[in-house]
Amino acid sequence: MTMTTLPYRVTPARVLRSEWHKFWTLRSTWITLAVTSALTAAMGAGLGAAYDGTGEGGMDTVMFVLLGTQFATINLGVLGILATAGEYSTGQIRATMTAVPRRLPVLWSKAAVLTAVALPLTLATNLLTFPLAQSFLTGTDLSASLGDPGVLRALAGNAAGLTLLAVLALGIGALLRSVPTAIGAFIGLVMILPEILAMLPYAFVDDAVRYFPGKALEALTTAQPLPGTASPGAALLAMLLWTAVILTAAAVVLRRKDV
Amino acid sequence: MLTAHELTKRYGDRTVVTDLSFTVRPGTVTGFLGPNGAGKSTTMRMLLGLDAPTRGHATVAGRSYATHPAPLTEVGALLEARSVHPGRTAYHHLRALAHTHGIPRSRVEHVLGLTGLTDVAHRRVKGFSLGMGQRLGIAAALLGDPATLILDEPVNGLDPEGVLWIRNLLKSLAAEGRTVLVSSHLMSEMALTAEHLVIIGRGRLLADTTVTDFVRESGAGTTKVVTPEATALAGLLTAPGTDITTDTPGTLLIRGTDAQHIGRTAAAHGIPLYELTPASASLEEAFMDLTRDAVEYPATLQGAAA
Repeated sequence: MTMTTLPYRVTPARVLRSEWHKFWTLRSTWITLAVTSALTAAMGAGLGAAYDGTGEGGMDTVMFVLLGTQFATINLGVLGILATAGEYSTGQIRATMTAVPRRLPVLWSKAAVLTAVALPLTLATNLLTFPLAQSFLTGTDLSASLGDPGVLRALAGNAAGLTLLAVLALGIGALLRSVPTAIGAFIGLVMILPEILAMLPYAFVDDAVRYFPGKALEALTTAQPLPGTASPGAALLAMLLWTAVILTAAAVVLRRKDV
Repeated sequence: MLTAHELTKRYGDRTVVTDLSFTVRPGTVTGFLGPNGAGKSTTMRMLLGLDAPTRGHATVAGRSYATHPAPLTEVGALLEARSVHPGRTAYHHLRALAHTHGIPRSRVEHVLGLTGLTDVAHRRVKGFSLGMGQRLGIAAALLGDPATLILDEPVNGLDPEGVLWIRNLLKSLAAEGRTVLVSSHLMSEMALTAEHLVIIGRGRLLADTTVTDFVRESGAGTTKVVTPEATALAGLLTAPGTDITTDTPGTLLIRGTDAQHIGRTAAAHGIPLYELTPASASLEEAFMDLTRDAVEYPATLQGAAA
């Protein structure tokens, strides 16, 4: 065979290109992203319009406006899980790993693609949802503008947190290789486990729970830090660490286990 | 060129492949035969680096598959299980695979045309028939214009037209100098397609031979002759390459020549023939004899015969 003039070769940039192509050529991607943004904006506007102006005490204005991002957490998490675990359930993974038998570039590319899509999308959605909801909240105790202290930081922090959670879910999907199991584990880790742990009567557990992904996301989403939560910087760092640890574990498993 | 060096694969305490060594050479179609559960798919997955062998190693053109800079140009593979996301179109599935190697769009369109999928290229794979799915798998295998093809049960579930298409495709790929390894659990199919055979049972090598040798040794190609002048006829037919045996007086089992030659020789010398029967090519039986002890779940009939 003539090997000397072969132009074809696997490179990290090409694997990234491939994963980018895969991401956008599934209908589920478009639907999930559209639904995620629409739900966040609609919930923000709806809650703003329904708010009767009597303060319920202590609700952060950004947190209130972005309550719809609870759905975004799940939607984007599922999108991340589908990118990895979904390949195992469909069998696509065999084609993927035959093309890129070194395997790891695939995981990094998937994480990069999801980040590159989720971060701008959630940021834009938040920047749109906030003024939209605020147009109903003028004159109430939740009234605020983008220029108020902490507001922009909280809107961006929420976007960063949601993106990190999506990548974390992607890592869980790669670890568990089953869509339903991974969704269960993701929801358990982000939404259920912190609530259960918080009920335990130990102060150190309470301190630790602040740095769990779901709680850290809440801390990132408030304009004014609430008592008993992590500082925005610490929350972001905690989420970065969670995501890094899960992705590293996923990489080790991907290298070692049979496809 | 594909080489398996003492491949062993264990899943827990179940050993699926044991000390399996063989070489697949370019230019011919090599049939990889074995009953269901013999370890064919596992072996193919080890050749592709999808499964890591417990012991031993596999090489493609002298090195392990994963270390090639452009794996899809080395090996194109069709695995038995479907390896496509059903929500993606055939075109985009191939484009995504092509991107990993920098393979251009024109090559994607070429393999779609080659496999007859151009008209359905923009349909989602979910709606594909089994045959269309197999064609897409073969299109993916051909994408990198690979020197070697590994195809796991490619004719499974295909209609006669599809079977014929694959048979001719494999032969033409081998004729171009490529290495072709194709698995099957049907000896009859391999006899029509392959020249070389690697036969395994329960994960062990049973035979590494050519189809011609297998046919000769299997008793297929034998002609049974019943004549009152057996000794005289045997004398007349004796020639290099002809093998004559006799089990009962007056009956000859002749290999290496055909019924026409035997009949004409007998007639020319006025030897009466009571019977002149070419044995129907019972390749499948020979294959079953070879693998009888190695089938995972033998049917009771076979068990009684053994």
